[in-house]
Amino acid sequence: MNLKFKNKRIAGILTILPKRVVTFEEEMGNYNFPEKKSLRLKKIMGYNTHRVAAEGQCSSDFCIQGLQYIFDNGLLLKNEIDALLFVSQSPDYFMPPTSNLIQGHFGLKHDTICMDINQGCAGFELGLMQAFMLLEQESVNKVVLMNADVLSPKVSIHDRNSKPLIGDAAAITIVEKTDDPEDIHVAVKMDGTGAKALIIPAGGFRMPCSEETAIEHEDEAGNFRSLNNLVMQGDDVFNFVQREVPPMIHELLERAGMTADDIDWYMFHQPNKFMLNKLADAIGVPYGKMPSNIVENFGNASGVTVPTCISYNLGEKLEQESYQMCLAGFGVGLTWASIIMKVGNLSFNRIIEY
Amino acid sequence: MEELRSKLAEVLEEETVNDIDVLEDFEYWDSLAILGIISMVSENYKKTFKAADIRACKTVGDLCKLILG
Repeated sequence: MNLKFKNKRIAGILTILPKRVVTFEEEMGNYNFPEKKSLRLKKIMGYNTHRVAAEGQCSSDFCIQGLQYIFDNGLLLKNEIDALLFVSQSPDYFMPPTSNLIQGHFGLKHDTICMDINQGCAGFELGLMQAFMLLEQESVNKVVLMNADVLSPKVSIHDRNSKPLIGDAAAITIVEKTDDPEDIHVAVKMDGTGAKALIIPAGGFRMPCSEETAIEHEDEAGNFRSLNNLVMQGDDVFNFVQREVPPMIHELLERAGMTADDIDWYMFHQPNKFMLNKLADAIGVPYGKMPSNIVENFGNASGVTVPTCISYNLGEKLEQESYQMCLAGFGVGLTWASIIMKVGNLSFNRIIEY
Repeated sequence: MEELRSKLAEVLEEETVNDIDVLEDFEYWDSLAILGIISMVSENYKKTFKAADIRACKTVGDLCKLILG
């Protein structure tokens, strides 16, 4: 689906990371593989340290911490918020929506549209799309987009496929109206036939958690996990990304009347270094324009990786400068989405810890 | 065929590989090696394989037959 917006901008980005740092080596002993093989995996995939939430810390806690920081530092007034979007796969409860809980925590005005969106790897792009759509309304002037995931508790410690890369984090992005009429081009694509390539099988209504679902089984690669755990078909996901993402980016560039060189930064979802380098090769982008250093430093926190990538690699520079960016996310759903827009002159672009 | 063997050797971090070599006997044979092969084949031979296709091969010869077949 091709979409186009005008007169919208990102006003600020705050990334909130857990304080706890876990190293690859610390967890390596839990895997059923010789050390030498695991160290090769570390090197090729670019794994090193990842940030993991403390026991009991939920996605919403990171959002609340971040919003409190934003209010305390005078970066946004409470009554300016017209919509509060919470994009996550780790809500506090099945009901009520976590966005309502956060609204209640801060006592925000009743004229606030609260909305939970169940999206993962493409959650930043889908969240921005929703924010842009809301901002088409006369009465909506500022949208707070919260991307947050704490999925590490759902990954088996005996799963070398997913454990070394999982990260927990949240990001708060303020999206607002602007007079700048520059076009924002968006592409969103979905393929539900691949929905089970990334799944937590048990714990929902279809398969409630039970003693049985908690039993760990070995897969064909030598990983152990239960039905309560996140499971990823790595080969299917890799093939899907390499097949679908490069043509989506090429089509989006064409629609925007640009070439790959016109983009200053390719801020992409961060599954691992290997996959990002393969994507850069296929799209025809130098590695220097597509940062791939988020997994090695912080882990992959699904929809939070793109704002983290922007905060970490550009930091305060983005408060003075403006760049043509291509944002992209791809994964669970299956969903893949991309946006070409100018991002810059932000009122803040920071990382805090909680 | 020789080119494919040398690319497989590169993925497996071996000097050379022979058709009779058993895949499971390679020091670095694991899910990462399989992903490396899937990626190498997609780049160089424009073919897409699943991990299970690669796992079904026992030897380098089986793998070459699958990839070039």
